[in-house]
Amino acid sequence: MTGAALPVNVLAEGLDAVRRAPPGVLVVFGASGDLTHRKLLPALERLSRRRLLPAAFAVVGVARTEMSDDAFRDLMMGAIPDAGPGWAEIVKNSAYISGEYSHPDTFTALQARLKEIEEALGTGPNRTYYLATIPDVFAEVAKALGRVGLNRPGPGGSARLVIEKPFGRDRKTAHDLDAALHEVFEEAKIYRIDHYLGKETVQNVLALRFANAIFEPLWSRNYIDHVQVTVAETIGVEKRGSFYETAGALRDIVQNHVMQVLSLTLMEPPGSIDAQGIRDEKVKALRSVVVPKLADVPNVAVRAQYDSGWIEGNAVPGYRQEEGVGPKSQTETYVALKLSVDNWRWAGVPIYIRTGKRLPKRLTEVALQFKAVPHLAFPKEAATGLNPNALVMRIQPDEGVTLRFGAKVPGQAFMVRDVLMDFSYGAAFLEEPPDAYERLLLDAMVGDPTLFIRSDEVDTAWGVVQPLLDAWGHGDAPLSGYASGSWGPRPAETLIERDGRQWRTP
Amino acid sequence: MAHAMSQARLDGAGGDPATRDRAARQATGRPAVPGGPLAVQTWQQANVGLGQVLAALPDLRRRASGGGAGTRTAVMTLVMVIGADDDPEEGARSFRSLGGHHPCRVVVLRPDPDSTPAIDARACLWRAQAAGSDESHPVFFEEIYLRVGGQAASHLASIVGPFVLADLPVVMWFPHLLPDPADPLLRLASAVVVDTRSIGPAPDAIGHSYRTLLELANHQPVVDLSWVRLQPWRELLAGLFEPEHNRQFLPGVRLVSVRGKPGPRHMLGGWLMSQLDLRARELALEDAKHVAITLDAGYQGEEGKFEVTRDDRLRAVWAQATLSGGVSHRQGLPLPDDSLTSALSSAVANLRADRVWERALAAAAALAS
Repeated sequence: MTGAALPVNVLAEGLDAVRRAPPGVLVVFGASGDLTHRKLLPALERLSRRRLLPAAFAVVGVARTEMSDDAFRDLMMGAIPDAGPGWAEIVKNSAYISGEYSHPDTFTALQARLKEIEEALGTGPNRTYYLATIPDVFAEVAKALGRVGLNRPGPGGSARLVIEKPFGRDRKTAHDLDAALHEVFEEAKIYRIDHYLGKETVQNVLALRFANAIFEPLWSRNYIDHVQVTVAETIGVEKRGSFYETAGALRDIVQNHVMQVLSLTLMEPPGSIDAQGIRDEKVKALRSVVVPKLADVPNVAVRAQYDSGWIEGNAVPGYRQEEGVGPKSQTETYVALKLSVDNWRWAGVPIYIRTGKRLPKRLTEVALQFKAVPHLAFPKEAATGLNPNALVMRIQPDEGVTLRFGAKVPGQAFMVRDVLMDFSYGAAFLEEPPDAYERLLLDAMVGDPTLFIRSDEVDTAWGVVQPLLDAWGHGDAPLSGYASGSWGPRPAETLIERDGRQWRTP
Repeated sequence: MAHAMSQARLDGAGGDPATRDRAARQATGRPAVPGGPLAVQTWQQANVGLGQVLAALPDLRRRASGGGAGTRTAVMTLVMVIGADDDPEEGARSFRSLGGHHPCRVVVLRPDPDSTPAIDARACLWRAQAAGSDESHPVFFEEIYLRVGGQAASHLASIVGPFVLADLPVVMWFPHLLPDPADPLLRLASAVVVDTRSIGPAPDAIGHSYRTLLELANHQPVVDLSWVRLQPWRELLAGLFEPEHNRQFLPGVRLVSVRGKPGPRHMLGGWLMSQLDLRARELALEDAKHVAITLDAGYQGEEGKFEVTRDDRLRAVWAQATLSGGVSHRQGLPLPDDSLTSALSSAVANLRADRVWERALAAAAALAS
């Protein structure tokens, strides 16, 4: 190629409203694993089906498992039984490197292979490294990439590192991980995935708040009595008992998913809806959350573990009877938490959070409970069915927004009761939203970090939950039990009832 | 606009038997297509006033009470204008499928100025399930069919007006006709959807129609379903020039061949002429069953062939770049099973003026002439 200016692709005019990945290579570490098979490959195929991947594109798999290029290509084809016509071409371009992450030869071989593929495809060195591995090897792989210079693609190229939660087991290990990654990749090149942020409705929290004039003026202590965040799962730990024993609900859900949703709910309007604008405001919001004092933990947090019970008509075992779980396990499968926020907007508005496994319904929602009207002009008996307004953002399933308000019951008497105005995103928009991995993979390849978590966000979120980890690690709080299929233990109800409030029944 | 006439009437007053049978079958609660929307309530009457039709609409929802029928989720009013001889059911499947994703009030207008002055109406409430949602959030939408006889057929704006949902876009879809840019009906439209594929094969007709559409596009956004259908070809061809090396071939395009039926081949030819700034003699248009594009280009002594073809067996479009230097790329895209529904879905999701289409149309009009 000469040094002449590159011609504009005039044929793409009018087609460029959609973001597409540039020509390049996606390198997947842990390519023989479950995440690759179950999530990444299907997401890539859907991107290819929508032509969001370029013709000059390849996947290079890296893993310890011995496998030939052809076997990896078979694995890629086998992962998508009804693949679109473009998938076979991507598969044909793709390759596999087997080797230990601790061995330099693995990375020398990768370097040579990437050069070969990029020459064959006529692409520049645009590389996205996706670490679909256990978190223990994140730092090792990043350092090994750095040793052979794969973190420095040269002029016109790019090298991004994508890692998935958990980002450490606590605040200190998260710091250590960041320090190791930053030795090799600058922060702007590190894409930390919390797949919750890839969900369309999580992003819709931003649209609801900042694209509408009617909600934002109400979005403060002046009108909101309290906020409830619920992340409920009906499933237990399934086959992941031994993993879950090392995690628990606080690490698995609260530190990441809940904190992300909460920061979007609490944040101030950003100057612009871009990576820096949004992430700066999210961090500011999280920094305003009052970190519980160690001594207060028993008063603001409840942990519990599911017992046997019934879910959707099926008898299910208790947590300690699950495969891979010890009979004396102290790992929490449920957390209820009360937080407060010290800033102008939210002072005095408690935030109640609950998450758990084996709850009656699978759902994630953020409910803003408004204050009651200052004076009820109707006789009490006319308003027995009336509650304060609530705005509920349903994140999954059946993503949407519900507004509860009072309406007159038809008839001669003046009776008011609650009605719901229920909006479903799925019913109002044409396209089925992209799967979270599809969205996030594309963003990483395009180089848009908006929906990825920055280092300081991770640190601040760990800061909020660290006192709970410490207190529970010292055995300072009792571990309650709750029947599978119930909404949690009695102490969780007490936590909110003490304040004269109640958990919603979603 | 000149509207041809027919004697079609609704149930109980004569009418098209096929239409009547289909409507009756749908009214039994079976979906018109598996997994498609269900007709939950219907109402029809011959020789009615618009007030009666308007009163029937909330009544349909009341009769279907429960399951959320009282709640309207709507994002637009879709007005479909058909000729007196056209089958109103043709195209209906597409907008009904659309209703499940993109709920709208649908008004089907069948002007019949040569028949008895009267309005025959049918209204139906459909229940649809949005993709990916559970059954607790169905979508209910109304479809209103109006056969307008006599002089009123020339004053359709006065008939559609009362049915338009406030504060939402109004999309006018002309599946078989090209609207007259001066028709007052278009003043109600936020955007107009047409299908240039429906224009006959005569070059003069193509040239004239394209110029008419250009005039229309001066006043409001026009979306051409044929152009939307051709998007996979355009996307794939553009995609072949994404790699930097391939991009260098773009200024060196020497010969372009576009095969296909009249209409699509003119549009793609016009697109390539306008985007690549080609002269007419550098472009060859040939008749063929399916659309295919070939570009021959050179760059610093290297030859490149860039092709996009349709694979009937796989129902897909393939693009391939073959360079004499050895690099080659190939990429495929599946074609939708129901191209009309898919194109209409895409059209209503992008109700914007498309300057690239307008330039392609202008060049295509010149080519056809």
